[in-house]
Amino acid sequence: MIEINRISKSFAGKQAVKDLDLSVPDGKIFGFLGPNGAGKSTTIKMMTGILPIDEGSIIMNGIDVAKEPMKAKHQFGYVPDRSDIFLRLKGIEYLNFIADVFEVPKDIRKEKIEHLTKSFGIYEALNDHIQTYSHGMRQKIVVSGVLLHDPDVWILDEPLTGLDPKSSYTLKEMMRDHARRGKIVFFSTHVLEVVEQLCDEVAIINNGHVQFKGNMAEMRQQFKDDDNLEQLFLELTQNE
Amino acid sequence: MNKAWKLMRVMVKMQLSMANKSSMEIFGFVVIGLMMIPFGLLILFFIQGIIGNMYAALEPLGNEGVILGLLFVMMTFIFCFTSIGTVLSSFYFAEDVESFISLPFQPYQILFGKSAVPFLSLYGLNTILLLPSLVFYGLHSGAGALYYLLAIIVWALTPIIPFVLTAIVLMFIMRFANISKNKDRTKVLVGLLGFAFAIGINVLLRLDSGTGDVAEMLTQQNALLELVTKFFPTAYFSSIALTDIGSWTGAFYFLLFVALSLGAIVLFLTVGQKLYFKGVLGLSGGKRSEFDEEKVQKHVKQQSLLTSLWQKEMRIIFRTPTFFTQIVVQSLFFPVFLIIVMMLDPNGPLTGWGTQLSEIEGKKVILGMFGITVVTLGINPASFSSISRDGKSWFNHLYLPIPSSTVILSKLLVSFFMNFLSILLLSLASLIVLKVPFTIWLLWFVISLITGWVASIAGLMIDLYSPKLNWTDEREVFKGRFIGIVPLALEVAVFGIIIFILWNSGLEGIWTVSSVLILILFIITIISQYFLNRMVERKYYKIV
Ligand SMILES: Nc1ncnc2c1ncn2[C@@H]1O[C@H](COP(=O)(O)OP(=O)(O)O)[C@@H](O)[C@H]1O
Ligand SMILES: [Mg+2]
Repeated sequence: MIEINRISKSFAGKQAVKDLDLSVPDGKIFGFLGPNGAGKSTTIKMMTGILPIDEGSIIMNGIDVAKEPMKAKHQFGYVPDRSDIFLRLKGIEYLNFIADVFEVPKDIRKEKIEHLTKSFGIYEALNDHIQTYSHGMRQKIVVSGVLLHDPDVWILDEPLTGLDPKSSYTLKEMMRDHARRGKIVFFSTHVLEVVEQLCDEVAIINNGHVQFKGNMAEMRQQFKDDDNLEQLFLELTQNE
Repeated sequence: MNKAWKLMRVMVKMQLSMANKSSMEIFGFVVIGLMMIPFGLLILFFIQGIIGNMYAALEPLGNEGVILGLLFVMMTFIFCFTSIGTVLSSFYFAEDVESFISLPFQPYQILFGKSAVPFLSLYGLNTILLLPSLVFYGLHSGAGALYYLLAIIVWALTPIIPFVLTAIVLMFIMRFANISKNKDRTKVLVGLLGFAFAIGINVLLRLDSGTGDVAEMLTQQNALLELVTKFFPTAYFSSIALTDIGSWTGAFYFLLFVALSLGAIVLFLTVGQKLYFKGVLGLSGGKRSEFDEEKVQKHVKQQSLLTSLWQKEMRIIFRTPTFFTQIVVQSLFFPVFLIIVMMLDPNGPLTGWGTQLSEIEGKKVILGMFGITVVTLGINPASFSSISRDGKSWFNHLYLPIPSSTVILSKLLVSFFMNFLSILLLSLASLIVLKVPFTIWLLWFVISLITGWVASIAGLMIDLYSPKLNWTDEREVFKGRFIGIVPLALEVAVFGIIIFILWNSGLEGIWTVSSVLILILFIITIISQYFLNRMVERKYYKIV
């Protein structure tokens, strides 16, 4: 369970997130939908401890993210929107580093690394420097790193952008599987279609405000009834 | 050529612009500027003294030309040497090369633009060293206006040939190096090769200079000059041009020198047009190799978080060409150079020099060695790039459950390790070659280790205070960030006072002084560690 209680964040006077209030229940795939610049990444960075929270609080599985950061960080795995990971490391060195951080025992990490990277088709690239990876491959190595320590909560910032159809399918299956086991998948996207395929619950964010939250059926209904949302609907569907 | 000029202006602007500098860095520039004034005066004074003395000794024998010869040989050597680093980083290591290549420019135009910054740095040296020397020589020889006119032209042309030669050699090497698979490692190797080359030449010159009867040559005009400039014909030409003013020989050599310099530029652009792209295309990027399952498995092992972090830092330093040259080569170059030169000359003046130390007062020996250590370890590029090195990947430390103290400790250990390597090398030199007594060495070793740790903390704090994460090219971490000097200045100030007090104190005896010094160093370590911890608490999670 993630509870986001009225958080706000501004950059140099510009308010990126305003009074955002959300609650993400266990066992659900939660979509965080909004156009570019809506404040999705900013929210996620506050959830993961990259950005300090100006106002409000975030409670993850009962742990206050700002008060007990180390404990909270053991709860989730995070896939950033940009793949600026340690480029001079080899893929395998990166994964081993992540496993050291989360103290994954040796035989488990061995088995998992092999299984995960093979299912993403990057096993054979593990000995190369991450610098030589394509964007999609970098995405895959980060996702493999997250899955390596099997966190309760997955937080993914635009995880499907740049993935080929096959890997995209694999990742979606993994997300469904994780939710089925009663865990949380929280991911952001700017594509409505992805949300429709995948999510149990959705929140729509625009200009730092939550404009809608609810399940999929409610969302469709709302799009028809609400003039404001209809405009947003067009923004979210026209491109791509 | 018009296009090339424009390109050059853009490149120079991008590299030297003050626009993105924080006020702290601008302040740093001003401090450096002020600090340079007495330093510059000292250099001038020094140059004036040497030239004056040499002139007085050589002029009666008609061999005063050798002063200029030596000067030009020295400058050629310095220019070649500094060009290795600047040419490599500007032509090949800079990641911006790729963005220029995709634009419709000729290779020679890009090269022309890329030469500007390395060239400017050569002219900086040229102005500090060669210009005053030529003026002093003119004053001593009572030269007329024509000398100064020719001297200015010679001064302006002198950096060209060494630069061009170095650049062409490097372009050749890179053209063939580019075939290799592991590009990053190749770049690192080429850098090392350049330095090895420089050391080699130095050694060659030293071995060669012993021959010939100097006394006899002194009686023949210019014979000494010919010997000194044997490997550097252009140095000979410019020396004659400035000593035989008004004669046909002088005029001939002057014109020859000018023609050669201009020819060198043409040669540089022609060779560059053919070779540059062959060396630079596809050069960026890391290792791409045949898949080897065993190698992958070998990397899977469980270790402590601190070890893992430290290993990651070391890998990044050793694999990133810029970091490698700036951090590893720069901190180890001086000790290695010293050792090689001393080893090659086993009967030289320095061998066994350490045995004389026992005759000097113990206190002064320890304090003197401590002073040298502070200066040597003071500028440690690994420490003041601790945070900035991570660049855009810094944020990965924030969402992973890694305590800030562990990350900071791993970074301290990395810069301390670099200091430790220099201390080890200097130990080798002092024990084996200089034959410093064991107890003195041991005390110095302990003191140096603590000093190294304090220096690492100081550098890290400065970087933490104003890190530069938003770089697109690793060189930005070092270039124009004179904050590297700030920790040195701090250390020199603090430790200088300590040395001064101990020197003048009533304390006597090597053990007493060392114990007091070590005690003081421990206290300083604890204090700086305390301030570092507080700074980490306040700043660590706010660095974005
Ligand atoms: N570091 C920053 N400094 C200033 N403004 C920022 C910063 N990061 C994000 N913003 C601004 O905050 C708003 C939300 O950005 P972001 O959360 O990245 O949007 P998105 O929903 O596309 O992920 C944007 O207007 C963006 O310009
Ligand atoms: Mg985003």
